[in-house]
Amino acid sequence: MAQTMDGPDARTRAGDLTGFEAVMRQHERLVLVTALRLLGNIEDAKDVSQEVFLRLYRNLGKVEAEKNYPAWLYRVTVNLCHDVGRKRRPSVAVEDVPELVSGAADPQQTLTGAERQRVLQMSLRALSEKERAALVLRDLEGLSTEEVARALGSSEATVRSQISKARVKMRDFVERYFRRRV
Amino acid sequence: MNCVEWEERIALHAGGDLSPAEAQAVERHVAECAGCQMLLSGLRQSLALVREVHGEPIEAAHFAAVRARVLAELERAPARRWRFAWGFAMAAAAAVLLIGMWPRPERKTVSHALVPVPAVSRGGADPQVRRGPPGPPVRASRTARAQRKAGPGRPPRTMASAPPEPAEPMVVKLLTNDPDVVIYWITSTKGE
Repeated sequence: MAQTMDGPDARTRAGDLTGFEAVMRQHERLVLVTALRLLGNIEDAKDVSQEVFLRLYRNLGKVEAEKNYPAWLYRVTVNLCHDVGRKRRPSVAVEDVPELVSGAADPQQTLTGAERQRVLQMSLRALSEKERAALVLRDLEGLSTEEVARALGSSEATVRSQISKARVKMRDFVERYFRRRV
Repeated sequence: MNCVEWEERIALHAGGDLSPAEAQAVERHVAECAGCQMLLSGLRQSLALVREVHGEPIEAAHFAAVRARVLAELERAPARRWRFAWGFAMAAAAAVLLIGMWPRPERKTVSHALVPVPAVSRGGADPQVRRGPPGPPVRASRTARAQRKAGPGRPPRTMASAPPEPAEPMVVKLLTNDPDVVIYWITSTKGE
């Protein structure tokens, strides 16, 4: 796992909220950013993060027994995001994505921060739910293929296939977005 | 050469997901194929872009908001559990009290006592009357037959299975057009 973090100390296990707040601070980026990438909406991501931490508090003993907080947090975050995502919008086909009006030649140089965020979120929306989860965990969060497979409850072969498809779709999106079709 | 076969491996290679031997094979192919070179270049560029954007900081207020919501929820939780426990205890006590005070229904006793019927004859009765409920008139008829068998001096017979009935049974007398035909409908006092 990219991040290895210690579990909560005895004070946290006993229900000490100050100790638990420290645990939240340790893992909040992992949970909120992963949820944001999977859902594409900060308010939904905050709702999911809240639920993830409430579940963590209720399952402290079990999670500590697993001795791998990030693995548990990624798994629960992805599952909750899938639950939320299924109730909402379907993914967008790459062909349906509008092109950038400015037609900027170099995306890394000319885009503003908001536009770059928009490109990222829209390119993720062009992926299926499973492809998105695999790409976010592997390419954005930096997990190994084995860790991604464990978090998603899939085989490594499946994850590799999902990741490769997701990367190709994302490249198609970015090139279409910047009118740089091959 | 069919480059579609290479697409998956090139995409995996762009993210460093191939073994050294597989990576070398992909590099050899890409060196000879302009189309796959473009594909690999585009994959690497898009990956670099999304990784860079992903690494950009998120407003601290979002994290603080989540923390505050979680802690508020956890602080409320014990009080809510106690409220629930009190509510449950009160509801249980009320239920016990209600069961204790609930009026118990008296045991129903079904009367099958037979009463003598003076005379029953067939035919000539008003069809409307004869089409009445099948049970009681039959019983009246049986009673009449029993009475005829027993003779006028004997006391009325009761069915062996029936418990003694303290209340008097209600007897409904139905008159027909034929003065010789009278139907008795015997019921218990509760209308059974």
